[in-house]
Amino acid sequence: MKYSSQAVAKPYFIAALGLFVAQILFGLIMGLQYVIGDFLFPHIPFNVARMVHTNALIVWLLMGFMGSAYYLVPEEAETELHSPKLALALFWIFLVAAALTVIGYLAVPYATLAKITGNDLLPTMGREFLEQPTITKIGIVIVALGFLYNLSMTFLKGKKTAITTVLLLGLWGLAIFFLFSFYNPHNLVRDKFYWWWVVHLWVEGVWELILGAILAFVLIKVTGVDREVIEKWLYVIITLALVTGLVGTGHHYFWIGAPEFWQWWGSVFSALEPVPFFAMTLFAFNMVNRRRREHPNRAATLWALGTGVMAFLGAGVWGFMHTLAPVNYYTHGTQITAAHGHMAFYGAYVMVVITMISYAMPLMRGRAANSNKAQVVEMWSFWLMTVSMVFITLFLTAAGILQVWLQRMGDAPMGFMLAQDQISLFYWMREVAGVVFLIGLITYLVSFFVRGEDKAA
Amino acid sequence: MARAFQIKVSFNMQHINELPAVEPHLRGDLAIWIFILAELLAFGVFFVVYAFTRARHVELFNAAQLGLDRNAGALNTVLLITGSWCVAHAVAAARQDRQAIAVRWMAGGLCGGLAFLVVKIAEYQAKFAAGLSMDSDTFHMFYFSLTFFHFMHVVLGVGILIILLFKLRAGAYGSHDAHGLETGAAYWHMVDLAWIVLFPLVYVMH
Amino acid sequence: MSSTFTTSAARNIFYGGAVFSFLLFLALTFKTEQELPNRDQRAQLENPQVAAGKRLWENNNCIGCHSLLGEGAYFAPELGNVYKRRGPDFIKAWMQAQPTGAPGRRQMPQFNLSEKELDDLVAFLKYASEINTAKWPPNIEG
Repeated sequence: MKYSSQAVAKPYFIAALGLFVAQILFGLIMGLQYVIGDFLFPHIPFNVARMVHTNALIVWLLMGFMGSAYYLVPEEAETELHSPKLALALFWIFLVAAALTVIGYLAVPYATLAKITGNDLLPTMGREFLEQPTITKIGIVIVALGFLYNLSMTFLKGKKTAITTVLLLGLWGLAIFFLFSFYNPHNLVRDKFYWWWVVHLWVEGVWELILGAILAFVLIKVTGVDREVIEKWLYVIITLALVTGLVGTGHHYFWIGAPEFWQWWGSVFSALEPVPFFAMTLFAFNMVNRRRREHPNRAATLWALGTGVMAFLGAGVWGFMHTLAPVNYYTHGTQITAAHGHMAFYGAYVMVVITMISYAMPLMRGRAANSNKAQVVEMWSFWLMTVSMVFITLFLTAAGILQVWLQRMGDAPMGFMLAQDQISLFYWMREVAGVVFLIGLITYLVSFFVRGEDKAA
Repeated sequence: MARAFQIKVSFNMQHINELPAVEPHLRGDLAIWIFILAELLAFGVFFVVYAFTRARHVELFNAAQLGLDRNAGALNTVLLITGSWCVAHAVAAARQDRQAIAVRWMAGGLCGGLAFLVVKIAEYQAKFAAGLSMDSDTFHMFYFSLTFFHFMHVVLGVGILIILLFKLRAGAYGSHDAHGLETGAAYWHMVDLAWIVLFPLVYVMH
Repeated sequence: MSSTFTTSAARNIFYGGAVFSFLLFLALTFKTEQELPNRDQRAQLENPQVAAGKRLWENNNCIGCHSLLGEGAYFAPELGNVYKRRGPDFIKAWMQAQPTGAPGRRQMPQFNLSEKELDDLVAFLKYASEINTAKWPPNIEG
């Protein structure tokens, strides 16, 4: 760790991992509710478990991005962070706000939460992923602005690199597009249209810039390849991401009441969205092949390569499978969507944050890399989580195909609930894979505490 | 030595595209060629989708196509090709350090691009006045989408030409370094190429 | 064939390409807003019940279990066309009867909505069912 202020990343990473555990526990609850429908009812109805699961994911990824930024910007800019105190204060504010929100979700009925948080003054609650009370959303904006201020000041005072430029563009974009979560018109079509300006323009837009920048940073460090080479390719990748992803937003506009030209524009552009992920995979493998050093942190290198592959498979391939309008007509809003969503989020964003934690945490603890023993345990966790996620996705894909066949096709389509009964075997199998995923996550956490001879810095 | 070089150059002036180069060399930055490929892929996919859709609605497409202003389309083709020709001359002149001439050729290319935009806007106005738009029917959805997508590329191309023009006037390019100029010119030629496929496909073939 | 590949060219292409794509997206959005009045049943929004119904939909987080025009959760049936599938009386009766308590069956909470609130929600669901969604869903089951 070259600058002492990089240490502020540590609490962010720890909190992120804690929330990751919460996310998976609630995911397992939901998975069980799919097959034992009244599990934990009425104490934790499905929708409550779901909002905890999805919101925990988003908050832990945001904390992961913040930690990653606090770690890499001072190093890239070759100057200390503008205000470590502000970073720590914002950490606690964010964590407490997130905790209170989750307690709110669990402790009272959602309609009550809406009432007591004054949702009526500016109604923003009740939409998927944006379930947070309006006051929490305002809190998120404040935390985000403080975070961006801190980093931007650091960026401006130090050396500007392509990596920090791209990262900051992505992070500012993240904050700006989040503002659309405050726009909730009565018109349902327009509500949905602009909702995607948060969700799609995040995960298939500015978040890809953040992903690219973090991956590029770690690759420079572990491979020693020339910065110039890596930065050039980073620009190519993010250009492909935006050029395909911006108009690619149209693949969410097929069936929500928007004009039908979106079926063409959305299909054509979103069909090309796998290209930047393919480029990212080639890029990661190529850089590692051309490496000029044998970095002792082999686990981090594995995570970096895995990110490329899983992001391409989950976001790229699985995304492509249901992105063309004629296919999507049948698969829209089915388990196919869930299959893609899980592998895409895991491959792209979960894995890149873990890559960064895997790289940076040993350094913040005073060593270049963990001991062989610890790294082996960590690599076990990589395979457990990644392979179980592949199985989760495969089982949900099978469930989805059967669901589409039963419920959406043919002359005598089956009703929703009946069709769900028919596919319950796949849900059971998914739950087993989910338990293995949890074991993988626990293994990952254990790896932080495995002793042995650590590699010198 | 310098005289020998000058004689060599003056000989080459007759062959615009010939360089005293040693090995085959892709002009312009590799980055732009990656994007040219990506762009052609995007246009290509759109064209293929158009072709398939047309095959399923031949009557509608043939009938609607008759309403297109082929003269405007033909004029636009001439304007773009001429524009490309001017840009190619500008690059050749710049590489021979003939700055003033390069500037004039580039201005010519820019005029071609601007004229294309004017003609296109007039064409669109006529269509809108007739009550046609992207949601009129499938043919017009493709017509407007394809031509608007291309239009936007011409706008970007015009922007790039303007930057190149200013930089030429400032003496940024010459025989020592025409890299940026060639990069921008390559993009312009791609925009021209896309139109050369689009025009016959949408306006003419039936 | 060799060629130089400079970071500055890649960077400029990024800025150009990103701005271009964003402008294109904005143009398509503008076109969308122009066309929406023909598709989105906004006349129904003049009935205050519809907006009230949408607020109820949100405040009770119906999207946390159900999908609406295919978006949301996949635990419970699609409700964008439930008005056509079941009709207003069924919807109200169903909501008043929850939870079913059937062992092992997925359960829906009781939201304790008043008669007026139920009517508002039904108005919202009727409005949703009449939006022009390009013939989606493929059939009445949603």
